[in-house]
Amino acid sequence: MNLSVTGEPEALRSGRGEGANVAEKVLGAQGLVKRFGPVTAVDGVSFEIAAGETFGLLGPNGAGKTTTISMVAGLLVPDAGSVTVAGVPMGGSSVEAKRHIGLVPQDLAIYPDLSARANLEYFGRLQGLRGSTLRQRTAEVLELIGLADRAKEPSKKFSGGMKRRLNIGVGLLHRPTLLILDEPTVGVDPQSRNSILESIEALSVEGMAVLYTTHYMEEAERLCDRIAIIDDGRLQAEGTRDQLIELTGGVDTIRLTGSGSLDAGAAAVEQMPAVRRVVRDHGTLVLTVSNAPTAIAPIVNAATGAGLSLADVEISRPDLESVFLHLTGKALRD
Amino acid sequence: MPRLLVMVGTDLLRHLRNLSALMYAVVVPLALIYVMNLLIGSVDELEINPVTVAVAVPEGDELAAVLPQVLEAAGEGLDLTVRAAPAEEVVGLVDDGSAGVGVVVPEGFGADLVAGAGPQVQVTLADGLGLEGTVVTSIVDGALADLTAGTRTAAAAATLGVPPTELPGIARSLQETTAPVTWREGEAADEQLTLSENIVAGQAGMFLFFTVGFGVLALVEEREQGTLRRLLSMPVRPWTVVAAKALGSFVLGLLSMGVLLTVSSLLFDGVELGSPVAVGVLVVLMVAAATSLTFVVATVARTAEQANIAQSIIAIALGMFGGAFFQLNLSGPLGALLLANPVTAFVRGLGITAGGGGVGDLGVPALVLLGFTAVCLLAAWLLPGRKELL
Repeated sequence: MNLSVTGEPEALRSGRGEGANVAEKVLGAQGLVKRFGPVTAVDGVSFEIAAGETFGLLGPNGAGKTTTISMVAGLLVPDAGSVTVAGVPMGGSSVEAKRHIGLVPQDLAIYPDLSARANLEYFGRLQGLRGSTLRQRTAEVLELIGLADRAKEPSKKFSGGMKRRLNIGVGLLHRPTLLILDEPTVGVDPQSRNSILESIEALSVEGMAVLYTTHYMEEAERLCDRIAIIDDGRLQAEGTRDQLIELTGGVDTIRLTGSGSLDAGAAAVEQMPAVRRVVRDHGTLVLTVSNAPTAIAPIVNAATGAGLSLADVEISRPDLESVFLHLTGKALRD
Repeated sequence: MPRLLVMVGTDLLRHLRNLSALMYAVVVPLALIYVMNLLIGSVDELEINPVTVAVAVPEGDELAAVLPQVLEAAGEGLDLTVRAAPAEEVVGLVDDGSAGVGVVVPEGFGADLVAGAGPQVQVTLADGLGLEGTVVTSIVDGALADLTAGTRTAAAAATLGVPPTELPGIARSLQETTAPVTWREGEAADEQLTLSENIVAGQAGMFLFFTVGFGVLALVEEREQGTLRRLLSMPVRPWTVVAAKALGSFVLGLLSMGVLLTVSSLLFDGVELGSPVAVGVLVVLMVAAATSLTFVVATVARTAEQANIAQSIIAIALGMFGGAFFQLNLSGPLGALLLANPVTAFVRGLGITAGGGGVGDLGVPALVLLGFTAVCLLAAWLLPGRKELL
């Protein structure tokens, strides 16, 4: 099921924000398929990203995000489909296409025995930077990632957040046309995470196209101009945040947490006209409902009447979590 | 090309900063060669200490009288003193330390020998006597063998009508006049390595496998730590990454071999490996063979730990069978297999250069090393793990 709500990326039409000029397409992924033995990890994924646009791939672990960006970055050859970066076809040996990308892998991809500066300079040279350009870009990136004063220290002495920032810095050094970030904030403390997100926001302002994978809904909402929801290797939907939320029909989410018979509680509430869907999420019933403020009282009565002893009731307005739930029938963290 | 050199240069700098590469490449093999040379040196420098031999010979026994004379003759070259003593005192002299060896020839020795009765000569060695005892025993043994042969000749003469009274004289004259067989140390035209050279060659060959592992096996490590993924996303072809690791291994191997062989030649006595050009060719072939083997290991191993363990096992096995610790002589299929060992081929090749051979004389060892390289590269290419490596 692909519920793409736009035939063309909004940024391709309008750039970042209203009134901007038409932006050029930086990335085109068409019908990507990747199989590992009997498992189809990615199944017909297509999307495009324009210059200055931040595009998010949102999905739970194992959804196919990393496999998708591996094909985009030329690390995996698709079984079907194609990738073009800045108009150049991407393949395993596509040197020209790879000049346009900067990859920030999910795992730290830096040399722990080299200093921050040496790491940046090494990868910078491999990107073709030399002499004063290399020195200048290294200094700029060290400043950007907040490691200028620790530039000479071996990266093995850095905290987890500092290593993550250096990991991102390496991807930025050559000012790629397309920056690919694969869950760059995994395992990062809140302060470092915020710093990383601010840096990424600044990049798209500078005109860099960003492909960002995450399973954190808040990050996708904060950073991404457009978001594609991916699950089981397929794009379930794609659009701006508001466009995606529209897919839910404006429904709200009610979470009922408690003890007692969860099944009986679910059976009682799912008969009610306002309730569109009921999902059991560990010890919680997640209800998709229309107009939660008016429906909440009868729902609580029905649940408690069925023997569910409620400890917590939470109402939330639609968000990407609701969209994911609506599209896939499961919670994003599953 | 510049990106290849950037990778090789950075890798080499990292390996040289990382002391473990230096340890495996130079320090440990040099230390082992030094220790093993000390052991060999102690064998080479063994000396026979002065020793007194107390000999009791029956009076009037012409044949028995030959024995002290033989010992005295041998004593000229061995610092051996022969002292005549009564038979009943010989053991006492050995016990109280006056003599290192006691020899008692029994009464009737000559007559028994002529009669073919097989008389027994008693040799007593002092406690703690080392090589000297073995030497004296060997001399006595040899003299008795000669006397036995002489008396048998004399017995044969008797059957031909020689008077019995002349038989001991014949036996004795045979003992005295027969020119001894002598031997001298020869030198073959090739494959000549002293024990020291053999150890240097074997150890250098064995540790080379550890050293080159720092290059190619780093591919496995980089795959594990994620940097390989980043490298492959850079504007470089995948083969460039592999070539950079191979070149790094090769350069490390050459540096290690160069330092080891040069330092060994300078530091240790009796290490002369011959023509530098021929040795250089051999070293290049050996490093290529070792590097190619690491590709097989890198293709098969799932983790860096697995790769390092496998490489260590292979290095030690090839080194042991190649003569890094001791020379191994096998025949049959095992012997043929031994010849396919690159360390064996390297040691044999150095034997040729040490014996005065040049590049043109390296035929078989060079072919073995080239064949080994080709087989390993082919195996690494065909093994299914190749695609998973990158």
